[in-house]
Amino acid sequence: MENTLHHVVLLLSVFFWFIWCVQHQIIAKETEHAKRVSHLSEKHCSIEEMRHFGSSVASYFIFLRWMYGMNLVLFGFTFGLVVIPELLMGLPYGSIPRKTVPRAEQAKAMDFSTLWDFDGYCKYSVLFYGYYNNQRTIGLLKFRLPLAYLMVGIGTFGYSLMVVIRTMASNANESGGDGEDSDFNFSWKMFTSWDYLIGNSETADNKFASITTSFKESIVDEEENQKDENIHLRRFLRVLANVLILCCLGGSGYLIYFVVKRSQDFATRDDLGWYEKNEVEIVMSLLGLVCPPLFESIAELEEYHPRIALKWQLGRIFALFLGNLYTFLFALFDEVNQKLAVEESIKNATTWATHMHYANFTGNTSATPPPIDPADEFVKLTVSDIQVTYITILVGDFLRAVIVRFLNYCWCWDLESGFPSYAEFDISGNVLGLVFNQGVIWMGAFYAPGLVGINVLRLLTSMYYQSWAVMSSNVPHERIFKASRSSNFYMGLLLLILFLSLLPVVYTIMTLPPSFDCGPFSGKSKMFDIILETIELDFPAFVGNIFSYVANPGLIIPAVLLMVLAIYYLNAVSKAYENSNLELKKKMQMQRDEEKNRRNNQDSTNSIMKDLEDLLPIKSGGGKSTAPANKANTNKNDPPQTAKGAGKQGEVSRNGSRVNPEKEMLLAAQNPRIAVTRPPGPRPPGPLPGNPQLTVPGQRGRGQPQRVTSSNQDPLFLTPEGKVASRNWFCDHLCLRLFRAGLPPDNYSGHSFRIGAATSDAFRNIAPHIIKAMGRWNSGAYELYIRKNIFDLLSMQKKTLCD
Amino acid sequence: MGCNASTLAKIHNVDELILETGFSSSHICHLYNRFHSLDKDDKGLLNRGDFQNISELAVNPLGDRIINNFFPDRVDLIDFNSFARTLARFRPVENSPKKEPDSPEPINSRANKLKFAFQLYDQDKDGKISNNELLQVLRLMLGVQVTEEQLDNITDRTIQEADLDGDNAISFEEFKKSLEKVDVETVLSIRFL
Repeated sequence: MENTLHHVVLLLSVFFWFIWCVQHQIIAKETEHAKRVSHLSEKHCSIEEMRHFGSSVASYFIFLRWMYGMNLVLFGFTFGLVVIPELLMGLPYGSIPRKTVPRAEQAKAMDFSTLWDFDGYCKYSVLFYGYYNNQRTIGLLKFRLPLAYLMVGIGTFGYSLMVVIRTMASNANESGGDGEDSDFNFSWKMFTSWDYLIGNSETADNKFASITTSFKESIVDEEENQKDENIHLRRFLRVLANVLILCCLGGSGYLIYFVVKRSQDFATRDDLGWYEKNEVEIVMSLLGLVCPPLFESIAELEEYHPRIALKWQLGRIFALFLGNLYTFLFALFDEVNQKLAVEESIKNATTWATHMHYANFTGNTSATPPPIDPADEFVKLTVSDIQVTYITILVGDFLRAVIVRFLNYCWCWDLESGFPSYAEFDISGNVLGLVFNQGVIWMGAFYAPGLVGINVLRLLTSMYYQSWAVMSSNVPHERIFKASRSSNFYMGLLLLILFLSLLPVVYTIMTLPPSFDCGPFSGKSKMFDIILETIELDFPAFVGNIFSYVANPGLIIPAVLLMVLAIYYLNAVSKAYENSNLELKKKMQMQRDEEKNRRNNQDSTNSIMKDLEDLLPIKSGGGKSTAPANKANTNKNDPPQTAKGAGKQGEVSRNGSRVNPEKEMLLAAQNPRIAVTRPPGPRPPGPLPGNPQLTVPGQRGRGQPQRVTSSNQDPLFLTPEGKVASRNWFCDHLCLRLFRAGLPPDNYSGHSFRIGAATSDAFRNIAPHIIKAMGRWNSGAYELYIRKNIFDLLSMQKKTLCD
Repeated sequence: MGCNASTLAKIHNVDELILETGFSSSHICHLYNRFHSLDKDDKGLLNRGDFQNISELAVNPLGDRIINNFFPDRVDLIDFNSFARTLARFRPVENSPKKEPDSPEPINSRANKLKFAFQLYDQDKDGKISNNELLQVLRLMLGVQVTEEQLDNITDRTIQEADLDGDNAISFEEFKKSLEKVDVETVLSIRFL
């Protein structure tokens, strides 16, 4: 009977190794093919379905999967280096007191209820610290089990630290490239959202939904940027909300302390109901359930931007969990210290007793104190947390969905859109639960190696259970926001909790004396001594010398100083890079605006126009006040510039004139460059001929309208730059206007005006000598300018014929 | 599905095709086999209906437009060579530094890939994506789940972001510029083997 448990454990461990290898293969293959095919493995496919709910839900499951991978590795270490050697090479169950169920408990040891409480056989198995023997080497291979135990304990933290920081660094790398504000947000969403490798119609539907969600997110994001508020009321409400929340946090901390103290009183009694035995865990889980919605409703007072509100919410929940955990720990430590004092007295008694009764250890059960409680408490906490989570999902999400769905037919108001409706998937709560759980595991893994295995099982089942729950009974959020665009926020929380769970463990390793007959360090004054012992006995002498030099405070303090200075220097360097990045971005933005400006002022990409404008004097921004006039002018009489259909282009340019005023206002605001250099014109610019729309300052809103003064000596016709309109300039512009009008420029010249004036005067029967005078002709050449109207000739001809 | 000299021999002008598209002969063989598996009636040519049998194109909102891109104007049947030429645009870009300065741009260059994508949106082939064309695309992608007002907002905003010369439409140059940070070479490439 005693051995079956061991066999079961052995089988389970082999199974886990197998799973680890297979998973490793899948994960490795996935990363290899990730760029090629988007839905290769089944898990990846189900995560694709999650994207339907918005990218944040999918990111939760990706996070879950990442944690599962990390836990699997930790589990591999623990099992491979600690549990298996103890099982295979250590003393078997029942050979020494710490490995045997005390006689008093043996009757109930195999009961399910006892096992469920992690008592009985579970307590005296590899799951717990107390089981391990403190022999320095075991088995044929001289495997140093206590040393391995300590190193694995420390290595767990080291590995987790490394993995978390590496992930944070790679995330920062990805997102740091273009920063938080993307210039082409909507364009990218429009042009690049579809995944062309989707071939399944259901997946396609999910993809549609996720694209829609993403667009809606962006629109709401834009809207939120344009809200105004009453500052004082806001501030008051925010302070009030924070005070309320602090009260809640304090209250929950006190409650936990009270309950733990009460459980110590309970431990001395025997007639405990189920509630009293599990009071601590129940209270902690309940607090974790009740407080977050409470915080959320208090946070309604604050009215932050949804993303910021989410961050506050997460921070508060985190503070809640941390406070609870640390209060719990402190209460436990009180208990442990008390127990240690008791142990000291028992130790003296038992040493004497074991000397006497070494051969009959089975009789000495009453003198064996229980192993240190924290391990047990952690395991029970984890298990109850799992239970509560699963039951919450079952009741809160699934049952609710079933009720809403089926009762809706016979209920007065619409359940689906009204009060209960379907549950939304609470991402922040779930992520924090996961992070908090991992913290508990880290803390407890040193004392209960089996805890990591339990966690692996929990994560594996969670993945499938929660994804089923989400797909079957949840609806996508109405307002979707991620706490941050990279997942570094959650990684940061994980890192924080890693440090915080490292502290108690390191404290116990360095300071607290281990229990004297439990666990691999029993008999030593500090757990740390095992390392010193190994160095003394196993390594050559000089290694010991090196260690004693290195451990000298005289060497450690300068090293710490150096590290602090290095951190300061690197910080300064990264700030400098950030600044130069910002400068570059600003420059690029300015350049782009200038280009936009320049193009708007020119308003044509025609190559002929470019050639012509090269003939003109340099513009250098002097055309500001005339540019809108030019634009209006050309829009007025401007048919298409290219050979394509007339209607559309005209439409475009008409639209252009509608849209552009606002654009020009925007551009004016962004482009602060004023005309610094003006062409060395002889006189200040006068009003342009024939351009009544010169300045409409109210509408355009451009800088200062230029003051124009004129005198009698000014030339009548000026170019926009203020120079005298020369013959060449005039003719070039004429060609241009004709070309734009669709008329062939070759048939016209400067003289065409004189021809037109003379012909139209003759048509009105104005006397020839007056025509001659008006055109300043000195000779009879004016006659050549009068073009004969063909119809006049014909009618004259008819007249003469008839007569 | 063997790939051998006899398959290559069946293809018209195979050397010229290899040179133009940059495919290797084994790529060409694979493509030829695929061409034939799509060609249900064994005509030696493909029509639009053959393409619509592919499930990935059938569920794609822009599926019809992609199919149209294979068929040049007013042509309803394509032979293997034009099939291969269109697919050549999706060949992955090799990072070879040697580049003769006056050689013509390879058919799978970044600009040509973007040109393919641009043609999906520019239905009337005037070289610009107008407001209306964007609206059509959005309606295909989002269906009835988004209101008209939101659609208008999205199109206005997209044009505002990408349009540089103020003509209220997105030309190919502006399209290229707005996607300059997207890793087009990887995203618009298919590894054929």
